[in-house]
Amino acid sequence: MPTGLKGTGLKEEDLEKRKVLTVAYQPNAKYAWATGIAIGKFLSGLRAGEILGIKCDHCGRIAVPPRIFCEWCFKKSESWIRLPDTGHVNTFSLSYITTDTTRVKTPTIPAVIQIDSAGNAGFLHILGEVKPDEVKIGMAVKAVWLEESARKGSITDIKYFKPIR
Amino acid sequence: MTSDTMKVEGDFPIRFRYTAGLAGEKFLREIRDNAQLVAARCPSCDLNYLPPRIYCERCMSSLNEFVPVENVGVVESYTLCTRDNEGKQLAKPVHLALVRFPSTYGGLIHNTKGRVSIGDRVRVVFKEKSERTGSILDIAYFEKIP
Repeated sequence: MPTGLKGTGLKEEDLEKRKVLTVAYQPNAKYAWATGIAIGKFLSGLRAGEILGIKCDHCGRIAVPPRIFCEWCFKKSESWIRLPDTGHVNTFSLSYITTDTTRVKTPTIPAVIQIDSAGNAGFLHILGEVKPDEVKIGMAVKAVWLEESARKGSITDIKYFKPIR
Repeated sequence: MTSDTMKVEGDFPIRFRYTAGLAGEKFLREIRDNAQLVAARCPSCDLNYLPPRIYCERCMSSLNEFVPVENVGVVESYTLCTRDNEGKQLAKPVHLALVRFPSTYGGLIHNTKGRVSIGDRVRVVFKEKSERTGSILDIAYFEKIP
């Protein structure tokens, strides 16, 4: 494999045939991420089948996902509001590779969903029950939830958003 | 209001496969095949790098000459390790030492057989040839020379 670069080109089969010595290592890399108060309540809301936002009493802005303070006013936000599980596609992408870079024929469709009655606020999720070439910015969508017993307080308690036809 | 906080747990499924590089490959093969330590010699700086490397960090020239190193060194430093690399308590503590070898620049860290002290002369004890795989663990341990 001449590349013009200095170095020793190695292919997978060179390693399999043990042409060179190798050391294999699999770190036991676990993490526990603390959600904080606002996201904790948001995730509890998802488990209950609700999208919760928070309103700044100073400027009126709604944050979803919620934050414990308004970064515009630097004031504590305390007015929790239950938002509808509908919204509009703010932006989207067609992804033909998975998180481990495997190529796939059918794309996943990540999209930022602007939640209704929350101003510009919204979050990233995926779209379902829609063909890739039918997705449009501004499209009205609704959350499709996991069965209540399967929910665990995670963003994936919403399976995907589907178009409202 | 901490009752609303949650924790999200996960893991990183990552796997590494390291190659030793040109000089490291030579080093490990000499251990595996001949139970012999080798250093990489820089003639212009009069330095013998152990473990060997492919360039001299003083003059930046390529190193192509390997010289044998006698299997006896001196303990520079040591420690007693009571936990493994994930922090779990070891059933039996492990003695580790940094050993330097005469006329070489560098050194090796490895297990010692029992306790050693700074300045002790130690011998490199290799595993049986049939058990050697081309790994640093082909060195069984350092053993104090009485």
